Amino acid sequence: MSDFEKEEKMKSDIETKFHGAVSNAVVQRKNRVWLDCEPAKLPELLAWLKAEGFNHLATITGFDEGENLGAYYHMTDTKMLINIKVRTPRATPSIPSVLASFPSAVSYEKELEDMFGIKIAGLPAGRRYPLPEDFPTDQYPLRKDWKFVQPAEEMEAK
Amino acid sequence: MSKITIPFGPQHPALKEPENFMLVLEGEQITSAGINLGYNHRGMEKAAEERTYLQDLYLIERVCGICSHSHTTCYITNVEELAKCETPKRALAIRTLIGELERVHSHLLWLGVAGYEMGFETLFMYTWRDREQVLDCLELLSGNRVHYSINTIGGVRRDITAEQKTEVKKRINYLMERTNYYIKLATEEPTVLARTQKVGKLPLDVAIERGAVGPTARASGLARDVRKDEPYLIYNELDFKVITHNTCDVFGRLVVRALELVESYKMIHQVIDNLPEGPIAVKVPMKIAPGEAVNHYEAPRGEDIHYLKSNGTDKPERLKVRAPTLANLQSVAYMMEGGWLADVPLVIAAIDPCMSCTDRAAVWDAKKGKTEVYSWEEMRKMGIEHYKRRGVDFSKL
Repeated sequence: MSDFEKEEKMKSDIETKFHGAVSNAVVQRKNRVWLDCEPAKLPELLAWLKAEGFNHLATITGFDEGENLGAYYHMTDTKMLINIKVRTPRATPSIPSVLASFPSAVSYEKELEDMFGIKIAGLPAGRRYPLPEDFPTDQYPLRKDWKFVQPAEEMEAK
Repeated sequence: MSKITIPFGPQHPALKEPENFMLVLEGEQITSAGINLGYNHRGMEKAAEERTYLQDLYLIERVCGICSHSHTTCYITNVEELAKCETPKRALAIRTLIGELERVHSHLLWLGVAGYEMGFETLFMYTWRDREQVLDCLELLSGNRVHYSINTIGGVRRDITAEQKTEVKKRINYLMERTNYYIKLATEEPTVLARTQKVGKLPLDVAIERGAVGPTARASGLARDVRKDEPYLIYNELDFKVITHNTCDVFGRLVVRALELVESYKMIHQVIDNLPEGPIAVKVPMKIAPGEAVNHYEAPRGEDIHYLKSNGTDKPERLKVRAPTLANLQSVAYMMEGGWLADVPLVIAAIDPCMSCTDRAAVWDAKKGKTEVYSWEEMRKMGIEHYKRRGVDFSKL
């Protein structure tokens, strides 16, 4: 515990401030904190972290766990990385946008929409990223049940 | 004057890689700029889930042709963390050495491109000639000029001999001399000053707001460098400075990169002089216990971050790669607004964009998914026939 004083303090600060909304917070090692957060509280948590000096949203990693989809928000003050896990049900996947505090997250959020089909509430409409405009809108390539099928003419050529 | 919108790219003579900027112009001045990406997608994150950890190493190396070592080192740090592997100190030092040589090669390349974009082609010729020296070093140490493949899970693949050390040091000393000349040039040459000062402004608060990384952030006075902030490999044992500049323009980005070259030369000497003894690799099991890891790395262009989740098999459950250009592109839109159309290529080049890194993640379109591969002989035949139809016969050559 005493080895990671800074990390433990950050963890307990978040737990106190967002009591009920965050769970499973762990200090994995020096400079690494992981925690789960309720989707509804996410923008508020990120805004608070930003005020605390964690002003860099390094990236957002989407994931598919089967029943749930979700995303990790990797927040950093350039030294410590706080990884916030947000889950959302596969049937109606939706996460609120964090653009209000992190305008630079726009391409990361679009990536969640395109690759995982997670609806980002509050993301302004615009061109797709990263998939092309004519890619089917009901297919989400990074979901686990999406399989790449080799086109027929390719197979014949071999 | 009425406003007009012009597309800049995805295919444009001034761009080296496909990306699209929608520029709204009022006369010659840009009032707003939008960025569209995704022209270079290759489906790597999906592909990584279907390959073993070792196969992925060679896939990840191909995320980028310039910072190939950055991506593999970042990836391998995650794999080794999950496998609880004690990587030998000598291997970490060799990785650091290659990492700094890569930074030198990347910064010299950028210096040339910047010279080219500002209409100073002599600078381009000079720096690219000198860059051959560092590419020779990399070839000497790894056998390859670009995709070094020095990393392997648990260590590195090649050791360094005493002769190689002398050879690398000789070349680095030459580059040191050349770089001093470039620093003088960058800070005194009237063409350089006229083309770069007060161009592509990015104030400190905007740099923070838009999540700028690497030399782009450091030229806006933001001392952000993973090597210092969260030292990986053996950076905590090396003596180097984080270079920042406060002019917040293309000139600042030029100065930061030029001075960083000097810091890299210093580090290369330090690593070579104090190379720890011992083995260069340890064995790591093929299967990796379930777990999650996230690590970042200071690539030549800025912070590169990888997330890796293992599931107990020999293949990763999920791998996420975020290359520095994607973080920096949000700043480019700001830099262009209020500027002149003629400065656009230079402003874009000033973040040292790398689209193949940025657009790493996607999938090809199954409807259009047809690839044709030509062999060298077929290409040659096509060329000869093409010219024959135009009355020139090259078939005797």
